[in-house]
Amino acid sequence: MTRNPRQRDPARAAVVTGLGAVTPIGNDVETFWRNLTAGVSGVGTIASFDASGEEVRIAAEVKGFEPRDWIDFKQARRMSRFAQLAVAAARQAIDDSGLEIGDHNRDDIAVVVNTGGGGLEEVAEGEVTLRDRGGNRVSPFMVPMMSPSMAACQISIQNGIRGPVITSVAACASGVQAFMEAQRLIERGDVEVVIAGGTESAIVPLSFAALANMGALSKRNDDPQRASRPFDGDRDGFVFGEGAGVLVIESAEHAAARGASVIAEVAGGALTGDAFHISAPDPSGYGATLAMQRAIRDAGIDAEQVDYVVAHGTSTPLNDATETKAIRAAFGAHADRLTVSSNKSMVGHTLGAAGAMSALAAVLSIRHGVIPPTINQEQRDPACDLDYVPNVSREADVDVAIINGFGFGGQNAVTVFRRVAS
Amino acid sequence: MTARRVVVTGYGIVSPVGIGAEASWDALVAGRSGIDRITLFDTAPFDVDVAGEVKDFDATQFMDAKDVRRHDRCTHFAVAATGEALRHAGLLGENGRLAGDVNADRFGMVFGSGIGGIGLLIEGQITLMEKGPRRVSPFMLPHMLPDSPSGKVAIDYGLRGPNMAVVSACATGGHAIGEAMEAIVRGQADLMLGAGTEAPLLPLAFAGFGQMRALGTPKDPDTGEYSPPMASRPFDATRDGFVVAEGSAVLVLEELQHALARGARPIAEVVGYGSSADAYDMAAPADRGEGNQRAMQAALDRAGIGPEEVDYINAHGTSTPLNDRFETMAIRAVFGEHADRLAVSSSKSMTGHAMGAAGAIEAFVCVKTIESGCIPPTINYRHPDPELTLDYVPNEARAADVRVALSNSMGLGGHNSTVIFRRYEA
Repeated sequence: MTRNPRQRDPARAAVVTGLGAVTPIGNDVETFWRNLTAGVSGVGTIASFDASGEEVRIAAEVKGFEPRDWIDFKQARRMSRFAQLAVAAARQAIDDSGLEIGDHNRDDIAVVVNTGGGGLEEVAEGEVTLRDRGGNRVSPFMVPMMSPSMAACQISIQNGIRGPVITSVAACASGVQAFMEAQRLIERGDVEVVIAGGTESAIVPLSFAALANMGALSKRNDDPQRASRPFDGDRDGFVFGEGAGVLVIESAEHAAARGASVIAEVAGGALTGDAFHISAPDPSGYGATLAMQRAIRDAGIDAEQVDYVVAHGTSTPLNDATETKAIRAAFGAHADRLTVSSNKSMVGHTLGAAGAMSALAAVLSIRHGVIPPTINQEQRDPACDLDYVPNVSREADVDVAIINGFGFGGQNAVTVFRRVAS
Repeated sequence: MTARRVVVTGYGIVSPVGIGAEASWDALVAGRSGIDRITLFDTAPFDVDVAGEVKDFDATQFMDAKDVRRHDRCTHFAVAATGEALRHAGLLGENGRLAGDVNADRFGMVFGSGIGGIGLLIEGQITLMEKGPRRVSPFMLPHMLPDSPSGKVAIDYGLRGPNMAVVSACATGGHAIGEAMEAIVRGQADLMLGAGTEAPLLPLAFAGFGQMRALGTPKDPDTGEYSPPMASRPFDATRDGFVVAEGSAVLVLEELQHALARGARPIAEVVGYGSSADAYDMAAPADRGEGNQRAMQAALDRAGIGPEEVDYINAHGTSTPLNDRFETMAIRAVFGEHADRLAVSSSKSMTGHAMGAAGAIEAFVCVKTIESGCIPPTINYRHPDPELTLDYVPNEARAADVRVALSNSMGLGGHNSTVIFRRYEA
């Protein structure tokens, strides 16, 4: 049993009114969307550290990000990069929405910004300091900087937001969960506005060593832009990325009262667990199918109404075949009429931010009537037989888009975005 | 349609004062501290050498040996505490997994952790430095993420419903239980674990907290003698910092009709949940506990009860000078005159501060006070602070008819969460 959508109050519908993005293909929403629809890859040789001797030497890094453009210099130094990216994306989203934050509303705004690893970089560096120079050289800011909750906290602190501040971690499903949580906070009347999104930045030797040894990463070091190729027959793993995406989501009545322009509605969502394996997806795709079915039912729509599936599509052999199978099981005959694409072909896999990248793709496709492609489609894989919008973006009316996020440990999250009738 | 009510039908705990609910509760009621000299690593380089360690914990009793090696200690605790909670709720089958007649798709969890598998992460960094990248374990990454405990618990017991891991530093446990309750109320699940786990006892974490000057000194404040159990002195005038601890606690939350239909006993009802942010500072709490006030008020509103109905507050009570003062002020601001009739105690005087597990451990304490009619004390309370004038249940447990109990949690970064439990009344 899920919630009965007919009983819901339309005034408490959760609508999207602002967007912010700091990504491997652009540090603002406009550049991100232009590159995403033009099929530009953000993958390159790692610049954040010297990876020349390593097994994997490519990543989707954010380029030219200047924290001081967004945050006071001294405060920026005491923020891990994953928090800096999130604060910048939140600033953009708040500005885009035209929301003014003051004493009249600061208690009625929440922040739900999720992540995978948080300040992993600070822990790794802290251990180096501890061993090389002793405990009393470890930064007193290390503990508060590394906490995964600190991106959401910093958004609260920098903007004076005093409602609930929540961080949830579901590995690669983290970002998708944030929008579902936002919708529920608004629906039950806890707050009027939620700053929701995902962030990740862990381009450090330790994460590459670990992911490479899992066999999860693409080793196409000599051809970085062709390395992330979800659903393609030659895919060999994902490309690790960093970034942040933030949406301003508010109650329909609040948006209407302040005359905000509405981009789309967060119509529903669902979470499930595979209960299968700590890093591999259940090859039956059962948990993923269940999450899609429940999300669609939660949104009060029929599966046939879905136009676009923003796939988890990581470019690993197992995920993409399993996700294809799960989409077929969830949608039946309608699976052949759906469009499915993976923005990870361009922005890489940004773990805790991946769901936010997908949410941006979903709402922008609804707004602009363009579906971004899955690039690097060259070899057909018989196990991946849906319409992945190969290589070139496509004009199409999108009324309903769903975003998929599947995390390590078998955590599946699906959120439904819908056009709002004007 | 009447609102779905949520009751507690089971609990499990692994804590510095005991492994299992019975051992832990006996120690808390007896006022026995679980804080002692650290045995998990060499403390020679550190000024503070005490912590709330979980003692005599053998993870292989709960997981197979290969899994134990690959997973972090915080996951070991989570799996152990969950097993106890499921058994207690009558939900564990003979094969050690969820009983066959329970719908696994409708049984999920919010299993929080402040920092997840930081032990594995640090081990990975050491391997990287000493042996190179090819020797870093392929299990390190999926097993260090803060949602690894929730993933592993789901796998081991076969729970396939909504599954998430919240992180809000020391407010995590309260958020986990509150969000789990809300998932049942809105019909996403019939059964949820609300839980927290933490295993932060590592040299690096000690260096970090030490540098923040946040840790309590293990000395008897009267004699100056070394005394590990005296390091945590919540609300006492001589308090000077908190004690880092580890552990996990799990509550089984269940929709009332679901519980009654299967003949389960509702131990208490979860009636309120509130959450807020200070929007003030990364480390220090907001003046006068302003954020905590709003979280307590939101939880009372959610529960639809007046402040005078609350009998007991399990305080966040960390033993830092600021927290305990501001929390006292916040309780006075929200409860007015009723603040003088309330009992307030801090379990952290005995368990230390288990970070992301603290809120779950303390929710367990609230449920037990309602179930048993006994309030555990705040130990090491000898020197009243003239500004802190509530009834902190000093040093000795007290028999009391507790109908409504409230648990407060606050975290670095300005997170506040409050959960309210009430005796189950049909």
